[in-house]
Amino acid sequence: MTHEAAEQQGREPVPPYARLEVIGGATMVAIAALIWFGAINLALGTLPNFGPGALPRVLAILLALAGAGVLIQGLVRPEAAFERFEFALRPTLVIMLAVVLFGLFIRGGNFGLLSTPQLGLCVVGPLTVFIAGCAAPQVNLRQLLVLAFGLTALMLLVFPDLLRLGIPPFPAILQNAIPPSLGRETALRIAYAGYGVLALILYLAFVRPDRRAA
Amino acid sequence: MTDLLQHLQLGFSVVFSFQNLFLCLVGCLVGTLIGVLPGIGPLATIAILMPLTYSADPAGAIIMLAGIYYGAQYGGSTTAILVNMPGESSSVVTALDGHAMARQGRAGKALGIAAIGSFIAGSFATLVVAAVAIPLSRLALGLTAGNYFSLMLLGLTLAIVLGSGSLLKAFCMLLIGVTMALVGADQITGEARLTFGSQVLYDGFDMAVVAMGLFGIAEILRNLGASERQPFVDNVVGGLLPDKQDIKDSAGAIARGSLLGSIIGIIPGNGATLSSFASYVLEKKLSKHPETFGKGAIQGVAGPESANNAAAQTTFVPLLTLGLPSTATMALVGGAMTLHGVVPGPQVIDMHPELFWGVVTSMWLGNLMLVIINLPLIGVWVKFLKVPYHLLFPTIILLCCVGIYSVNSRPTDVLMVAGFGLAGYLLYRLKFDPTPLLLGLVLGGMLEDSLRRGLILSRGSFWTFVSDPLTLVLLGLSAVIVVSALSPSISRGRKVLSEDE
Repeated sequence: MTHEAAEQQGREPVPPYARLEVIGGATMVAIAALIWFGAINLALGTLPNFGPGALPRVLAILLALAGAGVLIQGLVRPEAAFERFEFALRPTLVIMLAVVLFGLFIRGGNFGLLSTPQLGLCVVGPLTVFIAGCAAPQVNLRQLLVLAFGLTALMLLVFPDLLRLGIPPFPAILQNAIPPSLGRETALRIAYAGYGVLALILYLAFVRPDRRAA
Repeated sequence: MTDLLQHLQLGFSVVFSFQNLFLCLVGCLVGTLIGVLPGIGPLATIAILMPLTYSADPAGAIIMLAGIYYGAQYGGSTTAILVNMPGESSSVVTALDGHAMARQGRAGKALGIAAIGSFIAGSFATLVVAAVAIPLSRLALGLTAGNYFSLMLLGLTLAIVLGSGSLLKAFCMLLIGVTMALVGADQITGEARLTFGSQVLYDGFDMAVVAMGLFGIAEILRNLGASERQPFVDNVVGGLLPDKQDIKDSAGAIARGSLLGSIIGIIPGNGATLSSFASYVLEKKLSKHPETFGKGAIQGVAGPESANNAAAQTTFVPLLTLGLPSTATMALVGGAMTLHGVVPGPQVIDMHPELFWGVVTSMWLGNLMLVIINLPLIGVWVKFLKVPYHLLFPTIILLCCVGIYSVNSRPTDVLMVAGFGLAGYLLYRLKFDPTPLLLGLVLGGMLEDSLRRGLILSRGSFWTFVSDPLTLVLLGLSAVIVVSALSPSISRGRKVLSEDE
């Protein structure tokens, strides 16, 4: 039976520890343990007036049971033997890096283990786009560069200027150096106009000749 | 009846302000814009664009969000028809005959009939929503805490059973969602719960952050993990307007689809998907030439498209009247309403009539806008389909980062989006569907609250709690549904549905 199924799937059976359902079920049990641990100091209360710790504990038990169910299915069900857990590591890490950098440096601050300076959308924006773009299977650096600056210009126009949402546009050092006579709004407009022109120049210099050649 | 007209009039007076018309228009446009991108369905679209709506007033924000929703759904159908890459399960069926029509050079007609069918179905569904809203909320106002608890349980059960994938895994996701809802300050004592000493978690999990990570960023990781498939788009779209024969062929399908969709949409679960499948099967059965289905039968586009649009609209009913979101999308809409200080539930219709009727009429208006704006713009959308994915996803990443930061100006939100993106991708690879998690997150607080109040009223006796006739019936129904879902014949049906996706 197993042999036939293996041929059908065209794959080798997977050892139990690498099976999809086994890893999935084990993860759920681990999360249940985490919930239990988190609720350990909360009062249980009584049935007519249950405390903050009651429901988390019930949920943790149910989750542990359901997770164990998934795990056992992975060990017992014949089809489960052919489902390997796999995922794309490189693009995932690159995208995570792009988003985390954005979070760490957009306004900066103290994140427990490290404190970071504010770099603002002007710096973080192009960086995020550029790093995220490197997650693609084939990277076209020139196109990506144009996109990085063009897109940041657009974001600066839409979010801080048009929608007036509080997102820091400049690095902290630069922000304090803006002469009061100029004003922040004008500085912002100069910034996105500059980025827009930069993107246009890069496009004309880099991308269009490529297109023509193609 | 005159009541109904009066209410609709009130609604129109709200919608026809310059600001709300504009928000509805922008919502429809950006919704279509993101929704048309291959591989990004309505849910991801709403998750990505939700922060844009935060700066508007409550009515405006919900109107814009609804516009994004319809736009995204319409954009999804466009992609399904033109490139055979349905963004989400509800347009899978449309891709069958729609793409076949496109290959015959009749793409324009398929798009046209999809838009017209959706509009007619949308208009019908708007009336259905308006008609059932008041009786349902009256009914809901009379419910006790115990009734409410069991009603929520029933809704969640239906949502899990009618969704796709393993029941046990869906149950795991639901439990995690409910637990996440409890994280933060306790509703009564204010004590920090499950925060593990972190100040950030004291405010609890933000719906927008969780959704953007689990459905927005994860979607991108998912597409990146798959090999890049550049969609092939034909330039020839052809005439948009269906001729007399097409209309004659599809009129029945549209009518049946509207009715079917409106009914299925009200029931919790994935109404839009279910109704489009049901409508396709129905049309094929009724057709004199079932062999043309799959080869470009116009009824095969008109029926399912009408049905899923009608269902998309009536899924608002449980949210707006009972406060119970029945799909992940509605969970997001409910979250957005709460954020604006309007807690969804039976009291909304009395306390915020202008918001309620404004939203209802904006549904109709949104559909109208989609027809008049999007059909002429089809050329633009086709161009968007051609944007290569390697430029598209960095754009979406930046949009997500800027969007989520601008909501609360908290850098930790961005970090959490990254974390939930990773979690969402791993869950996808582990074949867990995170939809129940989102439902649990929205309902968890209410679930605990109604359970607590119910038990206080019954003085801690589970028996008194359960023996209320309505509670008993609702709990019984949930049990019957779970048991029947485990029975062999139905679980086979669920398997077919999830494999087709």
